[in-house]
Amino acid sequence: MDDIKVNQNPKLGSMDRPNSYIGRSLPRENAKKHLEGGGQFVDDLVLPRMLHVAFLRSPFAHAEMKSINVEVAKTSPGVFDVYTAKEIDEYCKPWVGTLGHLGEMRSPEQTPLAEKIVRWQGEPIAVVIANNRAQAEDALEVIEVDWEEKDAQVDMETALDDNAVVIHPELGNNLFWTRTVNQGDVNQAFKASHAVVETTLDFARHTGVTLESRGIVADWNKAEGKITIYHNGQAPHMMQHIIAKHLEVNEGLVRIVSRDVGGSFGIKVHVYPDEMAAAAISKKLGRPIKFIADRLESFTTDIHARCHKISGKLGVDKKGKILAMEINDLSGIGPFSMYPRTSAIETNQVLNLSGAPYIIPNYKAVGTVVFQNKTPMCQYRAVGHPIAVAITEALVDKAATKIGINLHEIRKKNFIPDNAYPNKTPSGVPLEDLSHQASMDKLLNMMNIDDIEKQKESNLAKGVLTGYGVIAMCEVTNPSPLFYGVGGAHISSQDGASIRLEGSGAIHLSSSITEQGQGTEAIMKQIAADQLGVSMDSVRVTLGDTDATPYGGGTWASRGAGIGGEAVLKAARTLKENILDIAAAIMQTDKNSLDVENNTVIRKNGGEGITLQQLAETVYYRGHELPKGTNPELLATASFLIEGIPFVFTNSAMGCKISIDQDTGIVKIDKFWAVEDCGTQINPKLVEEQIKGGVIQGIGGALFEECVYDDQGNMQNATMADYLVPMAYEMPDIIVDHVTTNSGRSIIGAKGAGEAGTGGAPAVIMNAINNALNQLGKEVVSQPITPEKILKALGKI
Amino acid sequence: MKAPDFSYFEAQNIEDAIKYKSEDDEAIILAGGQSLLPALNMRLSSPSCLIDISKINNLNEIKVEGDFINIGALATHSDVMNNDLIHERLPCLVDILKMVAHAAIRNKGTHGGSIAYGDPAAELPAFAVAMNAEIILNGLAGQRIVDAKDFYLGLFETDLKSDEILTAIRYPLLGHNQHLIFDEVCRRHGDYAMAGLMARVELEQSQIKNLDLVYFATGDKPNIAQNTAKLVINDGYDYERLKKSLASEIDFAGDLNSSSEMKLHLATILINKILNKLER
Ligand SMILES: Cc1cc2nc3c(=O)[nH]c(=O)nc-3n(C[C@H](O)[C@H](O)[C@H](O)COP(=O)(O)OP(=O)(O)OC[C@H]3O[C@@H](n4cnc5c(N)ncnc54)[C@H](O)[C@@H]3O)c2cc1C
Repeated sequence: MDDIKVNQNPKLGSMDRPNSYIGRSLPRENAKKHLEGGGQFVDDLVLPRMLHVAFLRSPFAHAEMKSINVEVAKTSPGVFDVYTAKEIDEYCKPWVGTLGHLGEMRSPEQTPLAEKIVRWQGEPIAVVIANNRAQAEDALEVIEVDWEEKDAQVDMETALDDNAVVIHPELGNNLFWTRTVNQGDVNQAFKASHAVVETTLDFARHTGVTLESRGIVADWNKAEGKITIYHNGQAPHMMQHIIAKHLEVNEGLVRIVSRDVGGSFGIKVHVYPDEMAAAAISKKLGRPIKFIADRLESFTTDIHARCHKISGKLGVDKKGKILAMEINDLSGIGPFSMYPRTSAIETNQVLNLSGAPYIIPNYKAVGTVVFQNKTPMCQYRAVGHPIAVAITEALVDKAATKIGINLHEIRKKNFIPDNAYPNKTPSGVPLEDLSHQASMDKLLNMMNIDDIEKQKESNLAKGVLTGYGVIAMCEVTNPSPLFYGVGGAHISSQDGASIRLEGSGAIHLSSSITEQGQGTEAIMKQIAADQLGVSMDSVRVTLGDTDATPYGGGTWASRGAGIGGEAVLKAARTLKENILDIAAAIMQTDKNSLDVENNTVIRKNGGEGITLQQLAETVYYRGHELPKGTNPELLATASFLIEGIPFVFTNSAMGCKISIDQDTGIVKIDKFWAVEDCGTQINPKLVEEQIKGGVIQGIGGALFEECVYDDQGNMQNATMADYLVPMAYEMPDIIVDHVTTNSGRSIIGAKGAGEAGTGGAPAVIMNAINNALNQLGKEVVSQPITPEKILKALGKI
Repeated sequence: MKAPDFSYFEAQNIEDAIKYKSEDDEAIILAGGQSLLPALNMRLSSPSCLIDISKINNLNEIKVEGDFINIGALATHSDVMNNDLIHERLPCLVDILKMVAHAAIRNKGTHGGSIAYGDPAAELPAFAVAMNAEIILNGLAGQRIVDAKDFYLGLFETDLKSDEILTAIRYPLLGHNQHLIFDEVCRRHGDYAMAGLMARVELEQSQIKNLDLVYFATGDKPNIAQNTAKLVINDGYDYERLKKSLASEIDFAGDLNSSSEMKLHLATILINKILNKLER
């Protein structure tokens, strides 16, 4: 993708000036570091006196520990000690994964190690502390546990039955949370509908599969009363609060350092028992403790996502105008709601987002979230979106087919018009600055559907099933305090940036946003350099250290550019004003006649300027030369927060063309198209990477990824050989284009772009497959859509 | 996921390796490590010692000897794919190896390791059986040669004795009317197949005269479908009949990606794919 030739956002100034970097596809500098192996990840860290831990984890989905004997393990070579729940509990207070703003949630207290009852395969029960990980694992093998296996409640669909196994007897049943949204009168509207269509879809569990697994090095310094946690998380300040609260350390003396992080996708923004145990052990022993999850632990203890069964109903009039939509969603979240964000949010998003692109006057949505004996489930990239988008778009396709109009016509008929914002989703959530009409038009231009229709026919004659789909969707980005904070979670929705001119003339920038590989550092640099008028290589960035960066939320919910980027822009503008004030004093001229270009304060109408280095040297080393009363402030800090609405939404339109081998059931994605409206693109190449990467992850959900369990709740495919993620060969051509509607909430106008691909791809792929199968009167309704499911649908097996 | 402790012996020659192995029942041969090391890290086995044969000279040679092409056990999949003799005399093997894992793994994984390991889902054991290859084993008592079809006994079970090392595989060269045709169905490129077929075809005036069908990823070892092959020779492709015949000949064992029913279906349609390739 080329640079954006014409800057769409007048608030940012012309691109036709030196140091105009916003909107340009500049290469990110830290890619070189990673290619050369020069990054520093948690596992690279070695501290003096550091010990390693490994956890004994439950082999059963549901069981009672009758007794546990760790004495032999304690004598295993290299072992320092072995702890069970009681030793850890002294150093870590339990937590509860509920929040107050979404109605009643019920989830019991959770401790780092299970004491008696285990409730998922992989739940930690004992921990070996040893000189190295291998020795710790040796000792795990000689811990003796006397188990009594219990019946497991594995299937979410029977979790509320009378004869279900109640996982937490004190709660009476397995219900965690439920919510109903009711707008208008759906029953009346269905009666008045010309056609009503229905479907039920199910979505398997999958997980994030980050390149770098979860990891922590905790270092308690007794003398200072300070704990430093090197952690590959997404939200250092959230973690600071959690550690302080549960380890009972003064929050000001908790330092969280998140340097290089190898992918997160939402997996690394939650509180995990093993990480809390590692921190508690460091406090107990006064020694640095390292825990790095291995791939098996990643599969059975990183949060899983999806796991939904949703039925839906859509009523339309004769012309295809939608009159009513009703959905009923069931989701299984494992035995505990995750802390501190809760495991209700995915379902909540399904209820909020279904039908979001369309005018739907009558809408009813019921969500039910239940406990089960599987790995805990929580928020992962595009939380709830794949389910909301898939059910909506499947129903819209069915309605179009039923009344005999085009797949794109029915959408265009029902879109909230681009000029009708601000508006609301059918569920009542405020929307603004969206462009479904323009995006769909652009998509249709790219796809050439007439041509695809012709191919469909001629391929059918040759025995090849070809199909296509088009979808529209909204993506939640840049959340306000109404997302978590209002419910009582100490999760900042504000972000800060601090920027300074140093004595050398270099610019140093720090931000509370963190980097997991998506290019945060690069866009922060671009914004700062652009707004200050300096070259990119004069800006250095610090992220991910609670002792060194401003306070803020970190990276999740596609908020880095829109919230963190705006804070950088504001701080840079303030610093520039300060620089110009000082320069005006030194140069004895009017501030308005000056500007900064190429690291130099210039006189707009000619004449000699001074470099930022000269200016900084004067302020820092020869301050006596400044006119009296000059403010020597070369450090500026700013914050930003979305106010007044819950989220800044973006929208996308996506299309794809697929073909199905009728003999093998293998689906090939021939081509994928995406049109995204994320407002100002700070770096178009990085936006494109986000969209493409997101689409690939969505292909994973649609066709490959599934945490497979047996009836007893044992995960069957917890290896990278058996859990299938799409790889290079499975990646189709993905063509990305944009419509730009800037967010009115900020100067920069950027909305998020990190999750649309993952949210929309499963829906459009499923629709395309069904478009192909419909030629033979068949369909599939269950993701991932495996070759076996296709062959079953085709009646071949 | 750290391997349990083991000792390590770097063998300089075959004799050393055989000697060491015969003295320690729990020692195990290490070649490219691409199957063994993951298994160790998962703590699926805990050998006393790894006898590393990968440094032994000349065990990776690829040469033509009379009517055979001889591939040394230590030739990596990449060595084989890039070898001129293979391109000239056994080009089908290059195409087969393209389906074995990915480049990084092929750079380490060895031909002999794959044949010796005998993974029922692997391509090479089925290839060796279909080609009527001879497997050369060296042990305390010297060298013996086993037909590939007699080498595979059951699930990961071979005729390799505890003091033996597989040193080479000898493939009879294909005559001008003989073809080895192969196909497989995978969920992702480079994965072990849901089902795969090696077919050795002998033509006479463009009619099939002899046919061997050897399946992989279908059961506990390379599965030979003799009766089904006869049906194909006599009557050509008839989905229902061949499916019935395969069901009676092979005990299809389902796995995570395909049920036994699915494997039976794929095994049947693979015959059609192979016949189509033959026509082309
Ligand atoms: C991600 C991944 C994907 C893969 N995909 C495929 C695939 O699609 N198809 C496929 O066929 N293979 C696949 N493989 C396996 C790969 O081909 C291995 O290289 C091969 O199976 C074993 O060869 P090796 O040299 O690595 O053997 P090692 O791992 O060193 O040894 C394997 C076993 O064989 C024994 N052994 C090895 N050499 C000898 C010998 N000369 N004599 C006696 N015993 C010996 C060892 O003791 C051990 O038990 C894959 C591997 C990986 C990691």
